[in-house]
Amino acid sequence: MLQLAWRNLSQSRTQFILGVGGVALALLLMLALDALMAGSEKDLVAYIEGVGADIFVSQEGVKNMHMASSAITYRDLALASHAEGVISASPVLYTTGVVKTNGASVLSYIIGYDPNEPLGGPQTVVAGTTNLQPGEAIIDEAVARSQDLSLGDEVEIMGQDFTIVGLTRGLTNIVNSISFIHLQDFQALRGGEAISYALLDVAPDANPAQVAAAINARNPDVLALPTTDFSREEKQIIRDMSVELLNIMNLSGFLIGLAVTALTLYTSTLRKRQEYGVLKAIGAKNRNLYTVVMAQAALSLALGFVAAIILVWLLGQLLPLAVPGMGLTLTQTGVTRVLISALIIGVIAALTPAWQLSRLDPAQVFRS
Amino acid sequence: MEPIMQVEHVTRRFGDGETEVVAVRDISLEVTTGEVILIMGPSGSGKTTLLSMLGGLLQPSDGRIRIGDDELTELDESRLPDVRLQHIGFIFQDFNLLSALTCLDNVALVAQLSGISRKEARRRAKELLEQLGLGHRLNFLPEKLSGGEKQRVAIARALINQPDIILADEPTANLDSHHGHETMRLLRRIAKEENRSVIIVSHDQRIKDIADRIFWLEDGEFKNVVEMALDPVCGMSVDKVSAPAEAEVDGRTYYFCANGCRDEFLEAPEKFLVDKLPPVHKN
Repeated sequence: MLQLAWRNLSQSRTQFILGVGGVALALLLMLALDALMAGSEKDLVAYIEGVGADIFVSQEGVKNMHMASSAITYRDLALASHAEGVISASPVLYTTGVVKTNGASVLSYIIGYDPNEPLGGPQTVVAGTTNLQPGEAIIDEAVARSQDLSLGDEVEIMGQDFTIVGLTRGLTNIVNSISFIHLQDFQALRGGEAISYALLDVAPDANPAQVAAAINARNPDVLALPTTDFSREEKQIIRDMSVELLNIMNLSGFLIGLAVTALTLYTSTLRKRQEYGVLKAIGAKNRNLYTVVMAQAALSLALGFVAAIILVWLLGQLLPLAVPGMGLTLTQTGVTRVLISALIIGVIAALTPAWQLSRLDPAQVFRS
Repeated sequence: MEPIMQVEHVTRRFGDGETEVVAVRDISLEVTTGEVILIMGPSGSGKTTLLSMLGGLLQPSDGRIRIGDDELTELDESRLPDVRLQHIGFIFQDFNLLSALTCLDNVALVAQLSGISRKEARRRAKELLEQLGLGHRLNFLPEKLSGGEKQRVAIARALINQPDIILADEPTANLDSHHGHETMRLLRRIAKEENRSVIIVSHDQRIKDIADRIFWLEDGEFKNVVEMALDPVCGMSVDKVSAPAEAEVDGRTYYFCANGCRDEFLEAPEKFLVDKLPPVHKN
C-alpha cells in the first residue's frame, strides 16, 4: 500500500512538483518565520549574553533593555558591588539613538562604557581595539560594510563626531545595531550622574540568583536579575510585540499547507476513483485504502517538510549577505511545531478522501 | 461433482413501492469445478447485477449464494472482502489495472492484500506472468502494453490468489479478434487444466465456443439454457440438444457439427481424444 501511495504521488511529475512544492512553500512560511524570530531573538540579546555579566542591575521595574529607560545612581552601583559574592560592578549608560554617516542614519543602541572597568564593552573586536578613548567609537562591521566605513572614519553619535577605532561582529540585528562610546563622552553628552545599568561579575562559586535576590532585598530602588532572566525578559518583549503578526503568519502558512495538501489529495483520489473501486472489488478493505491516502498525505508532507528545512537553511546562508543583521536560526521548538502542524494538516487533508473511499461502491467497476 | 458455487432463488430489487425495480428475479444456478459458464443477454437484462451478486459485491434481496463453505448472503459486510480475495478472481472489461503500478506490482499487490509477504507475492507474480508470456513486460506500466497484454496481466491478477471462481465481465470487449480469441482460449485452459470455474458475462458470440453452458438472461430471468460441446474433430462449438450428430464411446457422449465429423471420429476415436488446446501452467 505504501508503494502504491508513492507511485500514485509520483506518477505525474507536474502534479508531484506542484503538490510537494506547495506544501514545502507553506511549511517554509511557518518555518522561516520561526527561524527569523529565533535568529532575531538571538541577535537581539547578543550584547546581553555576550558581555560577560552574571547579573544586570537596573532601575526598579525595568527588566530589559529594548525600548526601556533605566536610571540608577553610583550609590546603587556601590551597594550592588558590596553584595556577597560580587567580584566587580561595571557601570554602563544606554540609550536608543542613531549613527550618522555619509548622510545616512543607522538606528543604534548606544552603550557608554569605561574601558578600565571589567565589563560593559564588547568582549572582542574583529578589527581595531576595545580600549576606547574619549572621542572614539566602536561600531559593528555590518554597519561599517553597509555604510562603507572603516577604522579611522568619522561618525556622528548623539550629535558629536567620533572616530571609529574598533569593529565588532554579530551585534547588528533586525531592528538596529549596537555602538559603543566612552562612558565619559556619554555622560558629557547626556548630563547628570545617573547610569543605566550595573553589570556584575560574581564569583564562580556564587549563585547569581541568590546574589541578585540579596541585592534586591537590600536596595528597593533597583532590580537585579541574573543574565539568563534578563535575557529571557528581553526576548519576551520582542515576542510580545510580534506575537499577533507571528500567529497570523503561522495561521496563513497552516491554511495554505492544508489547502494545498487537501486539494492535491482530493484531486488525486478523485482521479483514481475507478482504481480504488477496483481495489475494493478485488478484496481491499477500507483500511487498506485509508492507508494509501494517509501515506500519500504523509509522503507529501514529509517531502515538503524536508524541502522546507533545506530552503530555510539556504535562506539562512544567503539572507545575511543581502540584509545585514537578518539571520535565520532553526530551533528545535520551531521545527517540532511545524512538524506537528504538518501532521495535523495531513490528518485533516486525508479526511475527505477517506470519507469518499469509505462510500465508494465496489460494484461500480462493472458499470464502467 | 460437488458444486463450487450454489445460487438459490436469488432476487434483487431496487427501490420500493411504485418505484421498485426487480433487476434479477429468482435465479438459481450451480457451478461445478472446471466449468465455463457464459451468461448472455441484452442490455438492462440484469447481467451486471447478477455478476455483482455472484462476486459478493452486492447482496441479494432474497435467495442464497454459497461459495465453498461460505454463505455469502449470511456473511457480515466486513467479511466479504476476504471472501472476494480468497475465492474470486475478477477480470474486467476495461482491464482496470492500476496505472501507477508495473505489471509485476499490479499482480503482486493482490497477493499482498491477502497477507502474503511482499517478497513472496512478487515471486509468485513473476512466475505467473512469465507463464502467461509476459516475462519481458514485468516492469512495464499498463500504458505501455497492448490490449491483449493488459488482459493477460488482468488474468494473472485474477489468478494470483488461486481462487475457485473467475468472474469475467466482457473480457473480450476491448480486444481485437486475435487477442479476443487468445483470451478465450486462455480462460478455457484455466478452467479445464487448473480446475477453476469461470463465469463470463458477455455479448461476444465467439465466447460460445469455449462455454460449457450458456445462459440467456432477459428481464432478470434465465430464459434459456444451452449446454455446449466441442466437436472433437473440427473443434467447433455445438449445442448438445440440436447437434446434427452424436456418438457414444466408452460411456461418454460426443457431439458433432456434421455426420462427416462423426464418421471420421468413429474410425479412430483415440486420434481425437487429445485436448487440442496448448498446455497451460500449473501452480
